[in-house]
Amino acid sequence: MLELNEITKSFGGIKAVTNVSMYFTEGKITALIGPNGAGKTTIFNLISGFISPDNGNIQYKNIDITHLSPWDRAKLGIGRTFQDNRAFSNLTVLENVVLATKNSWFENPLNNIINYKKSKLEEEKIREIAKKHIEFVGLSEKIDTKAENLSYGQQKLLAFARLMMNDAELLLLDEPTAGINPYMINEILLLIKKLVKEHKKTVILIEHNLKVVLNIADFLYFLEEGEVKTFGTPSNVLSDPLIKESYTGL
Amino acid sequence: MNYLIHIIIIIQIYILLTLSFNLLLGYSNLFSLAHAAFYGLGAYTASLLMLNLNFNYFFTIPIIIIAASLFSIIVASPSIKLKGDYFMLSTMAFQILIFNIFNNWIELTRGPYGISGIPSPSILGYQLSGPYIYCLFISIVTLISITIFYRLHKSLFGLFLKSIRDDEMLSISLAKPTYKLKIISFVIAGIFASIAGSLYATYISYIDPTIFSLEESVFIMTAVVVGGSGNLKGPLIGTLFIITIPEILRFIGFPDSIAANLRQIIYAITLILVMRYRPQGLVGEYKLE
Ligand SMILES: Nc1ncnc2c1ncn2[C@@H]1O[C@H](COP(=O)(O)OP(=O)(O)OP(=O)(O)O)[C@@H](O)[C@H]1O
Ligand SMILES: [Mg+2]
Repeated sequence: MLELNEITKSFGGIKAVTNVSMYFTEGKITALIGPNGAGKTTIFNLISGFISPDNGNIQYKNIDITHLSPWDRAKLGIGRTFQDNRAFSNLTVLENVVLATKNSWFENPLNNIINYKKSKLEEEKIREIAKKHIEFVGLSEKIDTKAENLSYGQQKLLAFARLMMNDAELLLLDEPTAGINPYMINEILLLIKKLVKEHKKTVILIEHNLKVVLNIADFLYFLEEGEVKTFGTPSNVLSDPLIKESYTGL
Repeated sequence: MNYLIHIIIIIQIYILLTLSFNLLLGYSNLFSLAHAAFYGLGAYTASLLMLNLNFNYFFTIPIIIIAASLFSIIVASPSIKLKGDYFMLSTMAFQILIFNIFNNWIELTRGPYGISGIPSPSILGYQLSGPYIYCLFISIVTLISITIFYRLHKSLFGLFLKSIRDDEMLSISLAKPTYKLKIISFVIAGIFASIAGSLYATYISYIDPTIFSLEESVFIMTAVVVGGSGNLKGPLIGTLFIITIPEILRFIGFPDSIAANLRQIIYAITLILVMRYRPQGLVGEYKLE
């Protein structure tokens, strides 16, 4: 479903990603692991279009997306979360999810002004869908809470609800379990599995917690200093003593 | 009594200015210092068309809308990509440029002498002049405008804009065309500010460049920051505050020369206090950072 071909990106003198090729299969969970500064988040930024590569190309569903803008890529179904856990902090949980709708009719202000009744009816449908997604991630009780008043973990759950509302097919999850208590981690892992099983999503996740990776990933890329060092199934890659050492040695 | 009507008319003109400014500041997070330029653009366009080409006021409106939209796009499209402070500087440059055009293009605008004798609007030969009639007329315009801004506020369009305000990168990642949305909001704001200008010109029947200076942009900004942004209450309260303060000073009995300075001091202190202790303004919904 997604292919990175010989991607290189440097910032000034720093080579963040060097000649990286990756392949991601539809309906699977692929993990990117590697030490801090390995280039994992940079790869997400390259896939979602927030930065463009110096070299190489990116194919998504057989479309060359290398030069598409980030919102065009989002329209094609590439959704992401951010390592720094973003939310629309002044808006409620419901508003956060509702606004993620793909319905572009509302982007024309005249539709909202002149066809106010119709736009309210449409909006009501969108609200109902949003409420289902909020229920799915277990935030129903917080529906009218401002996002800034949610706990860190709840904000991560909110991010999932937004992505579902946005109809993203490919989910790029940047450290979805970081900074979260073990109980919540389980919730989130179940959620990711459910998203893949029931909603046919494809997931790429960046993860430092190797237990998590072993638990849910189907495939794994290990990166170091911007290069793919090795890849394979988690059990194979993680049984490699060299990897184990370089990783847990951190 | 006529004086009270006058104040009500002025308040309504400022309501158009602050509601439209609020769409920029409280929704799209665009801190524009060019609002008075659009205010002036509408005032001069209406006045010149009516005086030089004998236009009926109501036929100047479509032209004002087109002119305001064009100018908005010209100012916004290069500036909107700039980050906060640079956006502000670039709109300030535009504000100063437009002021200088009003002030120096003497053949067209009569420069600092201003334009006088601007006629009142008329419908089917009936002049909308005199405070009561004009007040009724402008109340209708204000009501329509408040309805439009209310609908934008309540709609998903408004929510999309607020998402840009809260976190533009996140908004982009959810497929929102944020660049386009910001331009649209700038155009809407420009149109309403220009219409406010045309109303001012036809009401007072005299305009000169100083009315539409950078100071005026700051004045509008002060009203919205003090009242609060991100909803409709904020700009409405802010407008009341900023227009009634000088009237209250006069009522208390300060002579005009002192009242004018005192007014500036009160605005400045209020602005500082609000930003320090109540960044969301008196009744706003969104904390400025
Ligand atoms: N926008 C940027 N400008 C300059 N340098 C950058 C930028 N983004 C990333 N880098 C650099 O690129 C390298 C890779 O960073 P990246 O964030 O991709 O690492 P990471 O694998 O996600 O690390 P972590 O586990 O800490 O999140 C780092 O050296 C980083 O400092
Ligand atoms: Mg990272």
